[in-house]
Amino acid sequence: MVNFTVEEIRGLMDNAARIRNMSVIAHVDHGKSTLTDSLVQRAGIISAQNAGSQRFTDTRPDEQERGVTIKSTAISLYAELQDPEDLKDVPLKVDKNEFLINLIDSPGHVDFSSEVTAALRVTDGALVVVDTVEGVCVQTETVLRQALGERIKPVVIINKVDRALLELQLSKEDLYQNFSRVIESVNVVIATYFDKVLGDVQVMPDKGTVAFGSGLHGWAFTVRQFATRYAKKFGVDKNKMMERLWGDNYFNPKTKKWTKVGEHDGKTLERAFNQFILDPIFKIFDSVMKNKKDEVMALVTKLEIKLTVDEKELEQKQLLKVVMRKFLPAADALLEMMILHLPSPAQAQKYRMETLYEGPHDDESAIGIRDCDPKGTLMLYVSKMVPTSDKGRFYAFGRVFSGTARSGLKVRIQGPNYTPGKKEDLFIKSIQRTVLMMGRSTEPIEDVPAGNILGLVGIDQFLLKSGTLTTNEASHNLKVMKFSVSPVVQRSVEVKNANDLPKLVEGLKRLSKSDPCVLTYISDSGEHVVAGAGELHLEICLKDLEEDHAGVPLRISDPVVQYRESVNGKSSITALSKSPNKHNRLYVIAEPLGEEVSKEIEAGKIAPRDDFKARARVLADDHGWDVTDARKIWCFGPDTNGANLLVDQTKAVQYLNEIKDSVVSGFQWATKEGPVAEEPMRSVRFNIMDVTLHADAIHRGGGQIIPTARRVLYASTLLAEPGILEPVFLVEIQVPEQAMGGIYGVLTRKRGHVFEEFQRPGTPLFNVKAYLPVNESFGFTADLRQATGGQAFPQSVFDHWQILPGGSPLDKTTKPGQIVEEMRKRKGLKPEVPGVDNYYDKL
Amino acid sequence: MASPPSHAPVLSTPAERTFEDPTPVVPSSGLPHLSDEQLYITYEIQRTVQEIREGRWKRITLQFPDAMLGDGVRVYEALARGLREKRGKRGGVGRVKEEEESAAQEGSGDAGVASVVEGMEKVDLGNNATDKESGEEEEKLFILADTSYGACCVDEVAAEHVDADAVVHYGRSCLSPTARLPVVYVFTTRPLDLDSVVKTFAGTYPDKSEKVVLMADLPYHNHLEEIHSRLKTQGYGIIWRTEVVHDPSSPLPNRTVPREIAEDVSRLRDYRLFHISDPPASFLLTLSSRVGAINIFPTAQESEVAPKALLASSSQTLRRRYALCTRLSTVPIFGILINTLSVKNYLHIVSHVQEQIAAAGKKSYTFVVGKINAAKVANFSEIGGWVVIGCWESSLVESSEFWKPVITPFELTLALRADDDRIWTGEWSADFEAILKEKGEADDGVNANGNGTPMNDEENDGELDSEEESAPPEFDLRTGRYVSHSRPMRTNIRTNAKKVKDTPNGNAALIKRANGDLAQVGGVVSPGAEFLRSNRTWQGLGSDFEIAYEEDGASAGANGAAMEQGRSGIARGYVVGDHVDRS
Repeated sequence: MVNFTVEEIRGLMDNAARIRNMSVIAHVDHGKSTLTDSLVQRAGIISAQNAGSQRFTDTRPDEQERGVTIKSTAISLYAELQDPEDLKDVPLKVDKNEFLINLIDSPGHVDFSSEVTAALRVTDGALVVVDTVEGVCVQTETVLRQALGERIKPVVIINKVDRALLELQLSKEDLYQNFSRVIESVNVVIATYFDKVLGDVQVMPDKGTVAFGSGLHGWAFTVRQFATRYAKKFGVDKNKMMERLWGDNYFNPKTKKWTKVGEHDGKTLERAFNQFILDPIFKIFDSVMKNKKDEVMALVTKLEIKLTVDEKELEQKQLLKVVMRKFLPAADALLEMMILHLPSPAQAQKYRMETLYEGPHDDESAIGIRDCDPKGTLMLYVSKMVPTSDKGRFYAFGRVFSGTARSGLKVRIQGPNYTPGKKEDLFIKSIQRTVLMMGRSTEPIEDVPAGNILGLVGIDQFLLKSGTLTTNEASHNLKVMKFSVSPVVQRSVEVKNANDLPKLVEGLKRLSKSDPCVLTYISDSGEHVVAGAGELHLEICLKDLEEDHAGVPLRISDPVVQYRESVNGKSSITALSKSPNKHNRLYVIAEPLGEEVSKEIEAGKIAPRDDFKARARVLADDHGWDVTDARKIWCFGPDTNGANLLVDQTKAVQYLNEIKDSVVSGFQWATKEGPVAEEPMRSVRFNIMDVTLHADAIHRGGGQIIPTARRVLYASTLLAEPGILEPVFLVEIQVPEQAMGGIYGVLTRKRGHVFEEFQRPGTPLFNVKAYLPVNESFGFTADLRQATGGQAFPQSVFDHWQILPGGSPLDKTTKPGQIVEEMRKRKGLKPEVPGVDNYYDKL
Repeated sequence: MASPPSHAPVLSTPAERTFEDPTPVVPSSGLPHLSDEQLYITYEIQRTVQEIREGRWKRITLQFPDAMLGDGVRVYEALARGLREKRGKRGGVGRVKEEEESAAQEGSGDAGVASVVEGMEKVDLGNNATDKESGEEEEKLFILADTSYGACCVDEVAAEHVDADAVVHYGRSCLSPTARLPVVYVFTTRPLDLDSVVKTFAGTYPDKSEKVVLMADLPYHNHLEEIHSRLKTQGYGIIWRTEVVHDPSSPLPNRTVPREIAEDVSRLRDYRLFHISDPPASFLLTLSSRVGAINIFPTAQESEVAPKALLASSSQTLRRRYALCTRLSTVPIFGILINTLSVKNYLHIVSHVQEQIAAAGKKSYTFVVGKINAAKVANFSEIGGWVVIGCWESSLVESSEFWKPVITPFELTLALRADDDRIWTGEWSADFEAILKEKGEADDGVNANGNGTPMNDEENDGELDSEEESAPPEFDLRTGRYVSHSRPMRTNIRTNAKKVKDTPNGNAALIKRANGDLAQVGGVVSPGAEFLRSNRTWQGLGSDFEIAYEEDGASAGANGAAMEQGRSGIARGYVVGDHVDRS
């Protein structure tokens, strides 16, 4: 069935200039998987008839069933350019017209954004799919932003053009306007996240970086393709032609001249794009759909499309599909666009190295990555785990950035917490086998050189989700991926039968591995918790857990939201706590850290491992910190990387260095379980104002300091107007005008508020953006469907934390107070929040 | 050298405060002051005297819990008087000498001191008069105060300090078997409003055919008989009145069980338990999985209306314990806290726990810290979790104040069990005798005690992989992350065996250790030392300068101060040069 061999592909891998690693990204339902099919069909794996309906890259039964991609799936394709002439336009000089395309189809639903992140990391280019009708949606923007953040070059395909023609019956000019609006909005996003090194990557149809088409019907075109046709026909320069076929360019049939003005002698001229590109397409649509067989056959002959006898018998959409597919095969347009406009690893790694590599940019590994050197030291990033048919085992899916990965090679496996020189998170192991990922199947391959995507067998036990593989002892890690979604929705699970517990535990481990974002853990109150990005994500995870990973019947609790504890103001007085022996005193003031700093910490832009001077500069310049304070950050917490800071503001305290570790331990402890409801703290800055210590080391040991540090942090928090933070979703809803009322009703009931609303030009659809507390989002989709007669489709993605409104959480009569009380009861704590007197000591 | 400073640096706590006693004063019990007759009855003076006489013990220690120490002297007097009378009847009164621990009196206040002085005078007078009248050796009584571990355990070691023959233990007790000395238990019975108990009982169990186990905390135990007979007359059929036995591993700890249960423990689930007064937490945890339901009759506050017997729920506590177990399964270093020196078999269980931890490839250190508190155990930051070896009542430490979790040997067995083998049914046991029993049974067969599976795994790994390859990390269930090096001693087993083969006489020669080398234990770097090396930033004097902040470094100079002569002597008053720093 496969019409190319592993040997052929292996041959291609050696030449980095002829490799394209790319992911297909888009909003949900914009047609990624369907378009991918067209490409896979070209590589000969699925038959032409099924393209557009099979969704090759949806490998799971539930993906096929729901029509939603859940996991990103990789496939290697063999491609060549239709016209060998085009080879000249390939940016990096190549000798042969043979290309290897490693393509990753990614899910579009926001809940699975982490899969997209994992896909983007191992690719250099992205095919952004945008629905003609729906335009740029929230997820389009999110994935595009992520792509640019990883220095990934985008090209765009405007998909579902058939809908615009058949359902909306747009005129040519309207369609053009629609196209340019979509392209405009894509470019706005790209311009917002402009990266100097990556350069200007805005997409332009006249540059050939935008394609138009229909994944369902299997056709697509670029302006460049038409330009090539017409250039031959008219004998003009192709590049000139490209420029003329987009934008305000008109061909005046009278003067036989190109103009920039759309009018001549009082008559409107037809835009070149409409005249030369859309016209033939419209004609085909018109004649086929109106059953004008003769016209169709005439057109077909004119366009040199060859139909078989059987195909000629087809009618309506079937015929349309065949004709369009033969006229403008989607794969040609897409492959051309990828090969010509997406970078090869050799190009891309030059500028991606500095964003990828944590270590110094001039060491052996960095140079290996920069040069994409197959003979260099091995640098391989594992971005996710893919389940094998062998239950409980996984392929480590990743990309070789430098060196060559081969079976039997002994490598150093560095987990996300590895720091050079330490043993933590470092393992040594041989790669058992290397494989090529081909959708639902794999092909064994002997070795894989730099620049390629691969699967590894035998190292899955050492990495939970992602990590770095290297052969060089001095290598630092490749940067850990930061996800745009966080696991804020959680449910607890328990086995129905106590004897199944080991199976559940094993299942939770597997689940945790199989998804880049999901978090599974046991809470302090002894519940097995599964946390996911959203309701759908959690639903899929739990289904996998019950049916696949654990395979035992489970009881699943209602979804709960994770809260955070924070402060609203500065401690009213300096908090003081004494050690158990009363000889040591700590003085601390808590204050809000500031949302901006917290977000930067969570995004990894301000990180504990940064150089402290550089970090202090950023804090001082961008966030108004005092440089001296900024240099004296003792640590981040909880888990040494959370968004709370401990700052030393003492002056000349003796023995302070000696107790630093103890205070830090107390800080990690306190920020992990805050004083109000034992939830993690967030966005609090603790300033150590003064410290009094006993002169004898024995009286200021960890036993005296650790509990005291915790107490003083609690006291300072309780003195600083504590508040509870709840997670908030950004919801984007698309809805027809008549159903708008229903949306507002539901949102108001659920404490949501709309902050943006606009009509999609040229459509009756409205786009509504609103903030909705995650706690209220359970059942939101269903409510919305009901209130709008099934016409509204929300997409929710975690956006920010907000202080739970309604008063102090310490007051039981307020809403936050009730939530706190309920949380405390659930955890088996005393319902009352312990007062500050428990932690504050009088002098 | 400059003149020595006359004071400690201003920023530190003045040294004299070291000797202020920071320990909180134990509140004297909420118990009412007892009249002499009440005291006589409550402390069962007559029975005690009788038992002492029967045992022919000559040196007897009296152990009181802190709350009852105030009565200690009066009990002492009463006993001494009682013994004297007995002796007198048999032909003479022996000499009684009194020994007191002053600490005990400070706690009990002025009244106590006064009465002691008074008492001593009386006794002395008596002694003078009756000194040489009898040939029989007189009994010596001692009051033990400040028990080292828990008030519920018999403090045999303290008793042995005075070379005692027997201990009289007052107050509630865990009844753990003792190894060395005979013990007389006095439960100090407290009054109970029987009517309200019976009323509450009837309110709790409207169905008279209900199977109920009637049980009371030790101070109320003596009322059970009366309650039982009253309930019988009310028509309750199947009520099992428990008797005290010294067997913490009984299905009902320290109590007798109906015969049908002795045969089949699971039938206990048909019973409901009516408990008078709040039982200790470990008792609840143990029983929650064994009996159908537990109702507790509260005795804390007295009220006119019969109080409700609340249904005890320990499921949340149990879940928390489960969370602790799973949390500790990836901890590389355990601390074993010995919280008793008197319970029989504690040495066996210590070595058993040590073996268990070692078999799981982890490291254990053993500590004796006396009474456990958060400050003491937080001094050892390298320890990831603590296992308490103590009596069944005091080994359950349920407090969130501890920096690292504290678990029981039973829970340790669970924690060390491989993830694919750990089953949590809610069954819980505080008594380590049971673990030893289990161990004894398992010893014959395969290593079924939890460490069997990881051992097998390890062997398999050893065959499959070459030696230099690392063991895979473990999934920390608590955080959902991977933890590397959770079994630091694992490599030991493998490499050590090899090493021994390689160097047959390797142990004979002295090896000079290079400076800065970490201590090695059987071929692996000591995990404790490794922790301190990698996780501690302050590594002694001089390292201050390395971690000093940049801007400080410039001003403070990287060289530090010149070496000076420091203080010497004992903590009571240090000597700095010629100056004695005493204040």
